[in-house]
Amino acid sequence: MELIIGGFAQAKIEYVKSTLEIEPVIFDAVLPTVDEIRDSRGGQIIINHLNLWIKNGLCAGKNALELEREIINIAESCHDIIIVSDEVGSGVVPLDEFERNYRETTGRILTKLAKRAEGVTRVICGIGQKIK
Amino acid sequence: MLHIIYGGSGSGKSEYAEKLVTTKYIDCNKYYIATMKVYDAEAQRKVERHRNLRSGKGFETIEQQRDLKEALKSIDRNKKTAVLLECMSNLVANEMFDGDEILNSGVVAGKVLHDFDILCENVDNIVVVTNNIFEDGADYDETTSEYLNALGMVNEKIAAAANEVVEVVVGIPLIYKAAEEASVR
Repeated sequence: MELIIGGFAQAKIEYVKSTLEIEPVIFDAVLPTVDEIRDSRGGQIIINHLNLWIKNGLCAGKNALELEREIINIAESCHDIIIVSDEVGSGVVPLDEFERNYRETTGRILTKLAKRAEGVTRVICGIGQKIK
Repeated sequence: MLHIIYGGSGSGKSEYAEKLVTTKYIDCNKYYIATMKVYDAEAQRKVERHRNLRSGKGFETIEQQRDLKEALKSIDRNKKTAVLLECMSNLVANEMFDGDEILNSGVVAGKVLHDFDILCENVDNIVVVTNNIFEDGADYDETTSEYLNALGMVNEKIAAAANEVVEVVVGIPLIYKAAEEASVR
């Protein structure tokens, strides 16, 4: 698993595509199912906007641990996956509890994924810096 | 030595800072200066989480929500010391908002830095956890902007004085200023 992180509008997905030699199969703010992974026919599976998947999950009443398990399950069943996420924790801590929880949960899940990832790249202005 | 550990919400900066103190300063008396005010269940959960991270690692906790230099009263200065200060953003907020009136950024930064200097002069090693709250590009009201300015000023000054400055991103340390073997004392 490779993890790609960076701020909003930093051309992360464009960066990822520029590094690929095979066709991307992109899942935007959703996780692929087992069938979809099987049917990807050698394409590169990419989850984009993992942060929005986390936000949607929290909105639907799931907690941080459930979300963490789901994404780690996918990462384990699809070893070559690339996960792309906005970093959302570097702003003023919001007054709204949901927004605060969303930022912290995203940070914690990305930290867990970074630990398991073979590589972590931080993208700024479309430039990738390998940090693991 | 003075280490600054910088990062966003949920970045893993606390865990990194605790690991730094417990692995680098094994032979020191270890103190944890807690600056967060506990006023609701969410803050209480945060405290519990941090307590669990620290438990069994030999830290003595000092609750110091304002007037940082007062923490020296609880520190045995005859022994070698390592202090983990967590976190600067709460300390600055408490100094700014908890008095009779909301103070301006220059006054708050000056007060915090003055207290911090006195602390640094009297302990051997300090690890400061501070927050990156500067990158969401939102346009904030005057009071919040003053707070951002105060914390920005404090971060800049303590980073300039530091032996080591590290940003933690998804649990990974990025070194902006590398530690040389020197003491803050």
